[in-house]
Amino acid sequence: MPGSIASFIIGVSSIFLAYYLAAVGHGLMEKSGVLNLAIDGVFTLGVAVAFAISVYTFSVPLATFIAMIVAAMFGLMLAFITTKLPISHGAAGLSTMFLGYGLAALVGLPARQLQINGRSLATIQPSLGGTWVWFYVVAFAVAVGIWYLVEKTKIGAAIRAAGENPASAEALGVNVLAVRLFASGVGYALIGIGAAVFELAYTQVWSQGAGMGYGWIAFAISLSAGRHPILIIISAMIFAVLDKYRFLIAAIYNLPPDVGKMLPFVAAIAAMIIFMVTPLRRKLAPPKSLGKIYFREERSV
Amino acid sequence: MVIVRRVKPLPYWIIPIIALLAGIAISVIILYVLMGASPAAVLSAIVYGFTRPGVVAKTFVALTIVGIALLVSFKGSIWNIGGEGQITFGLMAATWVALFTALPYINPGLAQASMILLAMVAGGIWALLAALPRAYLGLDEVPVTLIMNYIAYYIVDILVRGPWLGKHVYNYIRTDTIPSQVMFPQVPGTTMTWDGLFLLIILLVGVWYLLKNTSIGLRIKILGNNPNLLRSSGISVPLMVIVALTISGFIAGSVGALYLGGDVYRISYPVEVHTANYGYTGILVAWLSMLELIAVPIAAYIVSALYTAGIQYQILVGGHLGQLITAGSAIVDVFIGSILLMYTILITISEYKIKIIVKKR
Amino acid sequence: MAAEANNAKPTFLSPPQEGKEPIVSLRGITKRFPGVIALDHIDLDIYPGTVHALLGENGAGKSTLVKVLYGIYTPDEGEIIINGRSTRLTSPADAISTGIVMVSQSPQIIDTLTVAENIILGLEKYNHFVPVTKVYKTIREESKRVGIKIEPGIEVWRLSYTQKQLVEILRAILLGAKVLLLDEAITYLPIEEKKRFYKFIRQFADEGGTVVLITHKIYEAMDVADKITVLRRGKVAGHLDRKEATIEKIRALMFGERSAEITYERLPTAQPEPNTVLEVKDLWVMGDFGGYAVQGVSLEVKEGEVLGIAGVAGNGQKELIQAIMRLRPVIKGKIMYNGEDITRKTTYYLRINGVGYIPDLPAKYGVSIENSIIENIAVLPVYSRGIINWDKIRELTLKLIKEFEIKTPSPDTPVKFLSGGNIMKVLVARELTVATNLLVAYNPTRALDEATAIKVRKIIKDKVLKNKVSAIIASEDLDEIFQISDRIAVMNSGKIVGVFPADKAKREEIEHLMVM
Repeated sequence: MPGSIASFIIGVSSIFLAYYLAAVGHGLMEKSGVLNLAIDGVFTLGVAVAFAISVYTFSVPLATFIAMIVAAMFGLMLAFITTKLPISHGAAGLSTMFLGYGLAALVGLPARQLQINGRSLATIQPSLGGTWVWFYVVAFAVAVGIWYLVEKTKIGAAIRAAGENPASAEALGVNVLAVRLFASGVGYALIGIGAAVFELAYTQVWSQGAGMGYGWIAFAISLSAGRHPILIIISAMIFAVLDKYRFLIAAIYNLPPDVGKMLPFVAAIAAMIIFMVTPLRRKLAPPKSLGKIYFREERSV
Repeated sequence: MVIVRRVKPLPYWIIPIIALLAGIAISVIILYVLMGASPAAVLSAIVYGFTRPGVVAKTFVALTIVGIALLVSFKGSIWNIGGEGQITFGLMAATWVALFTALPYINPGLAQASMILLAMVAGGIWALLAALPRAYLGLDEVPVTLIMNYIAYYIVDILVRGPWLGKHVYNYIRTDTIPSQVMFPQVPGTTMTWDGLFLLIILLVGVWYLLKNTSIGLRIKILGNNPNLLRSSGISVPLMVIVALTISGFIAGSVGALYLGGDVYRISYPVEVHTANYGYTGILVAWLSMLELIAVPIAAYIVSALYTAGIQYQILVGGHLGQLITAGSAIVDVFIGSILLMYTILITISEYKIKIIVKKR
Repeated sequence: MAAEANNAKPTFLSPPQEGKEPIVSLRGITKRFPGVIALDHIDLDIYPGTVHALLGENGAGKSTLVKVLYGIYTPDEGEIIINGRSTRLTSPADAISTGIVMVSQSPQIIDTLTVAENIILGLEKYNHFVPVTKVYKTIREESKRVGIKIEPGIEVWRLSYTQKQLVEILRAILLGAKVLLLDEAITYLPIEEKKRFYKFIRQFADEGGTVVLITHKIYEAMDVADKITVLRRGKVAGHLDRKEATIEKIRALMFGERSAEITYERLPTAQPEPNTVLEVKDLWVMGDFGGYAVQGVSLEVKEGEVLGIAGVAGNGQKELIQAIMRLRPVIKGKIMYNGEDITRKTTYYLRINGVGYIPDLPAKYGVSIENSIIENIAVLPVYSRGIINWDKIRELTLKLIKEFEIKTPSPDTPVKFLSGGNIMKVLVARELTVATNLLVAYNPTRALDEATAIKVRKIIKDKVLKNKVSAIIASEDLDEIFQISDRIAVMNSGKIVGVFPADKAKREEIEHLMVM
């Protein structure tokens, strides 16, 4: 049944791309040693921004661009405060998450009101004119690009050094702040684009709380693939299928639709556990200083 | 810019106050920029929140209890962000006692006590499930407890849409209302219940004793500061992780019973929309308390005043966003987020000072 | 080059060094940490073409001073003058750009990165997006020139300690170092390697480079330095020319009025009893990175005996000690304690049955610095089960504070406000109290100043003698091993390569076995 396979691939293309970009951006940021617990809040905000801008301007590129910029600003802020100040990455991330949730509602609600009053929303249809092919092309290009950047270039070595041991990295001549700003800025830009794709190409509707929880799934996707840009493709694909077809899966087994809603979250925890108990954990170990407070002037005895 | 450790730390209560003021200021600006909300209206809503103890009481009790719950795990550096899920599980257990056992008709007092106790057990079990992978696999508890909040919501959703769907609910998807025998009696002139007040006092005293005089309390505190010492002393670190997180969930679970018996009297579908978000708001309470037990009620009062202010603002200027009004919770989120962020950043100032160094070239 | 010129043509106008401007000058450098003044108005001139040693015991302020020079710490007061210009160093990158490069005791290069990646990070001429392979050729050429063999693509964790230090040196050269800061960088190298480094240092200085050699070993400074500056308690105790320096002079400057207390004589021993307290049979234990760190070790400790385990760091001592304490799984073999097989027992079991444990890096593993002294004592399971009897523990704490002369305002003071020596005393006091039968220790006096270290050793030995306690003490410090042990076992590559009665053991033989 080639037809149904094609429609299957087209069907998951948008959510796959959204998950992939968010997860790979998250992984890039964490490679530099900044623990990213703000992802769900900023993803939710990105979704709302993309929605609002799309309603106001009816422009998909502009909506995507603004969502990317807003998210990147948050990435830069997180990298700055966690690197320059000796503060808890977890606390900074969770605070930002709440702020993201709140801002998302405030940004989205007025636009939603306009939409109810008759304004329409610009969207992308994956199935139209082979758009979906481009979704995959973009995902694979980003995969190869980020992989090359992290593994092969000087700045990639600097990113890994900052994540492994920022104090040593600094002693080796790395400007840890600059490197983390770069990784987090680019990482969050990708998360922002992912959020825009999620809103404009996948769900195409918005109500308060839209996107909430999906950031955490991207988090789990990235973790379960050891933050590796190529392996995340596989993980993101599994979750994309699960998300797209969860209600169908629930229906096939004659289960309540809420089981479908639950499915990706259960899978996220399962994926993280699988990662931790298998040799994957050793092979794709997280950066040693991930989430550790970096304070240069600490006495070391 | 260079950060160095202060030779003498600042007094610890200064930072929460500055953070609070700075956070409110930022929230006012955000609300003005994004919603055009007049700062005067926002501030008057805040004043309203702070000056109505009777109105705030219900939220205050719930947030103090969640604050105590989270404090126990935070003391052990176990970041329980799963209060929401644990409360939701507590809500589920209490609902079961109230609606599906004969207890309310046999002995209402016992029924109310069972609702609370079972809610705590349910919350404890839900926390335990997150504690196991943390303890034995080292899986970060933050994403796990958070994701489990969603799973808890959906489990209750399945029940409410399925076997627990009420018979007298018109066309709403929700459970029946609980019998009046198990509606917790209110303290006159306030929004809180006697059950809640008693529970609050018991938990405050109990946790105070736990942390001060028991080996479990001491070990939780050391777990938070240096688990290596526990290990070399021969005390199982995984076990302490489990104990800390389970106690935390156990206490948080009780809020589910209070929410049912003293506030909503039934579960409406979908539960994730009808939650009071105490599990998340409680994080702010625990942090603002600087993990000092006696400061938890103070922090809870401040936060519940802000919480009330968020809801009040929505009532005051309601029409603004048309029929889509759920912005109240969004305003609360903005408050929580900006105060927490300010707090997180400013807390460094109590121990560190910032020197600006001008480079000569 | 300049130095050579000066040496070749000593002018009558001025002696060699006075004729030149110092390359680095420190004026009034002061750095405070909570509770201590680490550096107290340090003045220092370092001249090009010299090897300048900074000597001082642990805690004298050497490392702090080096970190100030390398831009890791910013001084609270004072001025750094480089090449005659007052300079602010706010990061190592700043220091590198003025030609100052540090090589420290623990290699700074990062294990998971390749040699080339580690090196390229500091090289400004390569832009950020350049592939790392671009630098391979340069590395190969330069390492050939310096006479070391290093493959640029290899990951650093595959290298030995010595090779890592070589990479650090190579990196410094490629960064164009004019001033090389060696922070105990050669102290822990095997003797032959040390000699190669001395040669390199000499050559570097003769070619006009400057070396600042930081060490706490007097002979190391005497071996290679032109000038010696001694630090004591954060102050400059004195400057010496190599020619005028003698060991006695330096000792007096380093230890001051306490230099009389510093003795490395063996502490008194008792006749061990016949019964065995601890027996290890053919023990195999895994290391952190896979592979066996302990390979078939067998040993025994008699009642009232101190068994010292000598060895260079990383030869399996840590894993052996942890396995005995049941903190690390045993793959094969047996551990017997008082005739009972404890291979499958827990740490808890040992701790409630008279075993005391002083781990390596005490602030990390032995105490919780955020908690008070009394809480740090109460944490042991012998003192707290269920409800804690605080009155009893307070009494015990007060007794220990008195007995061990722990300087603290009160038993409720958080440990972080105590000095390093007093933190160590809290740990030793607690562990000696619970060690009614056996004491297991690893580097029990690391990071203490010499006088305190000797005092702690005396306390331990005293307890062993008085109470017939047995002890197994692993240490990287041979002085300590010789001072405290009744028998010495040498550990190398996970195996015991020799056991000697302490009174008959020869230092050279043991040193040889350690690095063999």
